[in-house]
Amino acid sequence: MDVRHFGMDTITLAGSLDAKLRAVKAAGFSQIMLSARDIAEYAAGPDAAVAAVRESGLRVTGFQVLRDFEGLDGHLRDYKTDIAKAMLQMCHQVGSKVLLVCSSTSAHATDKRERLVQDLQALAMLAVPLNIRIAYEALSWGRFVNELPQAWEIVVAANRSNLGIGIDSFHILATQTALDEVELLDPDRIFLVQLSDFMWQETRSPEERITTARHFRVFPGEGVHSENVYDLVRRLESLGYRGDYSFEVFNDDYVQLPHHVVTRRALRSAQGMSGMLNRRGVPLTRTAAAHQARYR
Amino acid sequence: MSVDENNPEPLNPLGIAGIEFIEYATSQPQALGHVLQKMGFMAVARHRSREVMLYRQGSLNIIVNAHPEPLPGMSAPAEVPVLKAIALRVRDAGAAWTRALALGAWEMPMRAQAMELNIPAIRGPGETLLCFVEALPGLTLYDVDFTLLPNATRDVPPLNDLHWFGIVQTVAADHSAAWIEFYQHLFAFTVVPGGQYFGVLPKGTLLESPCHSFYLQLIEPPPGADDVDWDEGFHRVGLGTRDVPAMTAELRQRGVTFIDRGSVQLSAKGALSQVYLGGVTFEIVHSHLQDPLGEL
Repeated sequence: MDVRHFGMDTITLAGSLDAKLRAVKAAGFSQIMLSARDIAEYAAGPDAAVAAVRESGLRVTGFQVLRDFEGLDGHLRDYKTDIAKAMLQMCHQVGSKVLLVCSSTSAHATDKRERLVQDLQALAMLAVPLNIRIAYEALSWGRFVNELPQAWEIVVAANRSNLGIGIDSFHILATQTALDEVELLDPDRIFLVQLSDFMWQETRSPEERITTARHFRVFPGEGVHSENVYDLVRRLESLGYRGDYSFEVFNDDYVQLPHHVVTRRALRSAQGMSGMLNRRGVPLTRTAAAHQARYR
Repeated sequence: MSVDENNPEPLNPLGIAGIEFIEYATSQPQALGHVLQKMGFMAVARHRSREVMLYRQGSLNIIVNAHPEPLPGMSAPAEVPVLKAIALRVRDAGAAWTRALALGAWEMPMRAQAMELNIPAIRGPGETLLCFVEALPGLTLYDVDFTLLPNATRDVPPLNDLHWFGIVQTVAADHSAAWIEFYQHLFAFTVVPGGQYFGVLPKGTLLESPCHSFYLQLIEPPPGADDVDWDEGFHRVGLGTRDVPAMTAELRQRGVTFIDRGSVQLSAKGALSQVYLGGVTFEIVHSHLQDPLGEL
């Protein structure tokens, strides 16, 4: 396992998309997670943003984020379907094979499991002609789905090959979900893994989780849950997960620092994590050839 | 016992009854018309408002669309003809379309002008359309939207018993499962058990229409073909006959050349024509099918 298996996320860095792409590439990473805002806010327009991403040579780990999609009715459902279509088209244009969808926080959404399943089935269907996979993630402050096993249950019930799970270590740690749950997943249906750590032991309320998630995350190895993050990755690797790991680090300090300072921390984290995991015997099945075969 | 078990999904919920027409798009309609004539088709009618011609033989209708203004998000017709649309004959076109949209199909804009039929369509693979056409009492869509050419007859006898056998669709690597689900859930196609193929190119996944009158063959790029240009789309049509040698002999007399080398050998199972105009091929397949629109 090495740095190639890890990527950075544009949300960690300040400034323009061009500068972020340059910095991530210069740091030695080969992939980047993009947000829809990177494209929408690009001064020269979305087509130029897409061209900049393609010219960077960085592989797009995934595209985020569709929020509050499932469980709506009537005009709200129609509205959100339109938003989903626009996001899918952007995701496709930018060359991303994965769209991240967070579990709904909407007070207008139903908790009826059958409806959540149907909505995600329809979203997966919309994604078929664009060859996009939907990664459904349990947001730790999601209204009805806020823990990994709940999201997985819905993915299993929906039973669509392009609908899988997105795992964010922050949400698992914040809800103190047992890591044993990871071992019940099908590795082929884990479409994205996002990693981060944070600085305090507990987040006691949904409000505290939101604040921490949006402002105080750090790279794995920099916080107090690093052992758990390593444990999570070790379990995923043992399970057979061979996809990407992306650093999902929202941090108010990092967005006011020069890029090279932040990317250096990210690189140190990726090196530390791969070194740690290699010493623990994880890389047995992670080879350069296998990696190339997957991302040919 | 659940409600679902008491009321199982009908085996053909849309009342699909075969292929109503196949549409090619090209900026060189006369060149394609010449090829179609070799294959036994005759030009019978011209569209009332667009640069579109109807070719026919027996129950086979082929539309050649050279209208220069594409639908939003689509390319204008290029010189090389491409298979642009499949129109399915269904019980109720509006109901079929509404159901497909609810399940997650992409709505495609209509093209009709005053006094023309609105043919509802959804997005297929690549830049293709899947259209829904229903039988009209006492007339056909061609009577409404097309004007019979001078000296043309409405009915053109087919060469022998030629009828639709199927469509070959190219699929991105590892994307067959999602397309299988697409056709299963939107149209109630079923997967033909592994190892059962028809014709001279036995590969990919074969799907059978719920009316048992035609097939879709999904083909992924061959292993190791990373640099092959392999866009998703409809690739070629398959034409069925009970007597392949007689059909190929007749077509040869009309000037059609069949490939007879390497892995593609002309046999009683089928034959593959040469590539015309840089992209059009026809597969002749030994067929056991009942033609729902013709009288075999």
